[in-house]
Amino acid sequence: MKAKSESPTIKELKFVITRIKKSPLSIAGIAIIGFFVAIALLAPILARVPEGQDNPYRLPRSGWFSEPQPPSPEHLFGTAQWQYDIYYGCIWGTRTAFRIGIIVVAGNLIIGLLVGTLGGYYGGIIDELLMRGTDIVWAFPGLLLAMAFVTVMGPSLDSIVLALILVGWPSYARVIRSEIFRVKQEDYVEAAKAVGCSDFRVITKHILINAIYPIVIMASLDTGAIVLSAAALSFLGLGPPPGYADWGQMISLSRGFIYKNAQDPLGYWFTWTYPGVFIFTFVLGWNLLGDAFRDILDPTLRRR
Amino acid sequence: MEKTIESGDLLDVKDLYVNFYTYAGVVEAIDGVSLLLKQGETLGLVGETGCGKSVTSLSIIVLVPPPGTIEKGDILLNAGDKAINLLKQNDRTLMNIRGKDISMVFQDPRGALNPVYTVTQQVGEALLLHRREEMCKRVLQNLERDIPEANTLKRFIYNCEKKIYEKMMNKPKSPSLRTLSKIPIINRYQGRLRNEIRKEVVELLRIMKIADPERVVDMYPHELSGGMAQRVVIAMALSCNPRLLLADEPTTNLDVTIQAQILLLIRELKEKMKSSILYVTHDLGVVAEICDRVAVMYAGNVVEVADTFTIFKKPSHPYTQDLLAAIPRPGKEFKSIRGEVPALISPPKGCRYHPRCSKAMPTCALVKPQVAEIEKGHLVMCHLYKR
Amino acid sequence: MGMRAYIIRRLLLLIPTIIGVTLLIFSVVQVLSPEQRAALYITSEQQADDIDAIIEKYHLRDPVYIQYFVWITQVLQGNLGYNVKSPSGRVLQNIINRAPATIELTIIAAPVIILSGIALGVTSAVHRDKLIDHVTRVTSIIGWSFPSFWLGILLLAIFYAALGWVGPGRLNPDASVFIITPPFTRYTKLNTIDGLLNGQLWITVDALKHLILPVASLTVQSIALIVRVMRSSMLEALTKGYIVSARAKGLGQKEVINKHARRNALIPVVTLAGMLSAGLLTGVVITETIFSIPGLGSYAAHMALPPPDIAGVLGFTLFTGVLFVIVNLIVDVAYAYIDPRIRLG
Repeated sequence: MKAKSESPTIKELKFVITRIKKSPLSIAGIAIIGFFVAIALLAPILARVPEGQDNPYRLPRSGWFSEPQPPSPEHLFGTAQWQYDIYYGCIWGTRTAFRIGIIVVAGNLIIGLLVGTLGGYYGGIIDELLMRGTDIVWAFPGLLLAMAFVTVMGPSLDSIVLALILVGWPSYARVIRSEIFRVKQEDYVEAAKAVGCSDFRVITKHILINAIYPIVIMASLDTGAIVLSAAALSFLGLGPPPGYADWGQMISLSRGFIYKNAQDPLGYWFTWTYPGVFIFTFVLGWNLLGDAFRDILDPTLRRR
Repeated sequence: MEKTIESGDLLDVKDLYVNFYTYAGVVEAIDGVSLLLKQGETLGLVGETGCGKSVTSLSIIVLVPPPGTIEKGDILLNAGDKAINLLKQNDRTLMNIRGKDISMVFQDPRGALNPVYTVTQQVGEALLLHRREEMCKRVLQNLERDIPEANTLKRFIYNCEKKIYEKMMNKPKSPSLRTLSKIPIINRYQGRLRNEIRKEVVELLRIMKIADPERVVDMYPHELSGGMAQRVVIAMALSCNPRLLLADEPTTNLDVTIQAQILLLIRELKEKMKSSILYVTHDLGVVAEICDRVAVMYAGNVVEVADTFTIFKKPSHPYTQDLLAAIPRPGKEFKSIRGEVPALISPPKGCRYHPRCSKAMPTCALVKPQVAEIEKGHLVMCHLYKR
Repeated sequence: MGMRAYIIRRLLLLIPTIIGVTLLIFSVVQVLSPEQRAALYITSEQQADDIDAIIEKYHLRDPVYIQYFVWITQVLQGNLGYNVKSPSGRVLQNIINRAPATIELTIIAAPVIILSGIALGVTSAVHRDKLIDHVTRVTSIIGWSFPSFWLGILLLAIFYAALGWVGPGRLNPDASVFIITPPFTRYTKLNTIDGLLNGQLWITVDALKHLILPVASLTVQSIALIVRVMRSSMLEALTKGYIVSARAKGLGQKEVINKHARRNALIPVVTLAGMLSAGLLTGVVITETIFSIPGLGSYAAHMALPPPDIAGVLGFTLFTGVLFVIVNLIVDVAYAYIDPRIRLG
């Protein structure tokens, strides 16, 4: 039979691909993320940085008038309070979103790896102490703790990123620790120890390599939730100052413009619609992708 | 056309087809199985893993799990004066038959018990479903005994309880009873029924030879050993004196010594209760010990049926012969069957055994063999035997 | 081991957990200089001139463990510091004043989340791959991705700006005036209940009307989460052996689902309850801010805005932290109640 000649990896890959093909939701997820990657890459073309401006993340403004102006040929999505260009903000905000997602995930991963590996490999009292600490941070409502961090550090995008790193690592540490406990029992690790490999070498060369794969997937799929948290903090006014290309900040700016007047109650719709659609779609894309992968990788759901 | 069943027969499975619709394709798990079970006999259903034994027994109780579907066939159950076709009944009727006329013992006793309920709760469920009237009668008898001795207040309460239980016997589904059972304090009357059920469960466990049944009834499944759990499951199955017991490899997951105890128990109980048993197993040793007749299954077909003695002395289908030869015995050469069990997603054409059969002929690969009765009661499905 | 022994053990575990949580919150503030930390205890403008005296009094320059000890002693005496922002005054008093609005909101939101989440999840699993399942799944993934602050704004835009049904806040202006005017007595400070106690049904109705939109924006994400978990754990439970064996006893499909599958499927959902209460506490901050509800959440958001009021943020975090630990304790006990295997532990 033909199937027998294929290696398990290829078979697995084929299985994943057929499952993705069969699920319209995961295709939608891939398409959405692809779309946003394209926007982020093409940002300088899609929204030209005005000449003489050195920081591309500052929104260009056409005046100081505080009332938002509806969409027009110069301002595709209209302007926000103080005439910040919404279209420009949405496009460059994509880069901000990716940046937040990537840095926070990487930070979480590094701390999680450090704590999880130390605890998992050495066990005993070190593990006990590290895990008790992890549990406490893990159990605490993350966003509230992050809020406290940002408050004491002073509001800014960097504070948000740092705060989200400081509260987000415990779930990684826990998973990594249990993975390492599992891998540690394998024969090849025992063998490596027996031939006298140093602890560092055993951890990096033999354990991490085998434990890291599921964790990286888990981390990459966390991006949606992280961007959502960052946006929420920004929305509360703890993010970058007005005029920065950040979706949460832009929605925060639009809060005073839900109601215009009796004749035209929704006259300022564009101020909160566009940035909101961007955040929502971005997060939806990641969650669809994450959902599809969880379904595919979950062995209990595979049979049938 | 009215299907009939002879009075000596309990169950007649005719030409049963079951398919499983999976992502990979259609699995033809049962491919035209016919079985006859007489009153009071034990029929062994033997075959390798994945040959469709379990699916056959699940079909008889009409609980084939999705994505499995019973395609066609008849399963006739003798109901005294007439035959009931189980595959043509509505859910209500089937619910009355399941657990009462036909009950089942499963391979994995721990899996068959719900981890969040105690033994009484789970065994009692069957009693509540099928022996409610009897239980209520016992409660009423107790009340009759207590009423004359009680003082005025208690007598009043007892009389109320008596009314409720009389109603419960006559109209168990009445809405007023349902409301009553949800009112706190007043619904305490249910305690009497619960006590009665608990007593009966203790009695059942005692019959199953479980030590200290008074304590075991209040245990959760995770507190039971494997052998105890299987005894509980058997108690559950026999609680309503079924006419047919489907035993799906009930001893496979147990230690050898416990296996022997359980087998002995089943044999004793069968004699006591006069039930018929369909005993599904892959273990020919067990078959020899417990079965009157044997049906051998291979890849969704019943290939040979005969009484136990004949199967062991004069196996006629090449598969049965190979199977018997594959039992390791001292002083005898051990022969395993060549090849492997075919995937039923694309079963071999003709006789499903032909790729592995040592006596295969050209026709075997083309034509599906008919069942031939080579002696009275000895059926074989093979081209070697003419009808 | 019985239920009682389990509860006692869990209660003992509460002590180190609370110490851990307070340590965590304490360490957050250590980023700040002693002068900034002194702001915690400033009660009046006169005092602000004498920062050194406060630093001295509360040992803010001493080693960390002494600082922690001094701080925790103050906390145990009910001194969470003083707000400098409006409303000024004792943090604990401000928190107590703000609590009723939040309690009213969460007490309605929690059952909405649990009941609708479980019901939808079970329905979705039972009708797997049918239309209703697809609709529930797509809706839940959309709900899960919906930024709650944006949802709040959209709801306000539709029901307040466009339709004019109900505005932000806890009550209509005339109702707000009515409840602070005698003879109306605010027994519980929960408007819905006070309305009933005073025999003013319209107050209750108005309060409930004002709760609909906040509850909606607060619950959508959590409902979506429960639906997803409940669906998959229900699907798993339905494949278990005890389902077939219950059916073989003669139970109907509906009874098996309600009695056997659902109870087992609830176990993973109970473990989520901790996450859910965290979501509620976080969601309250955003929801109350959008809907201008004078509760704990909007208090925290207001205190966090620059220039921050450290005492307020710290007090709120401490309050929610301890609350959260207690909620987790209750969750654990509920868990042991549902799953007898835990009690052995």
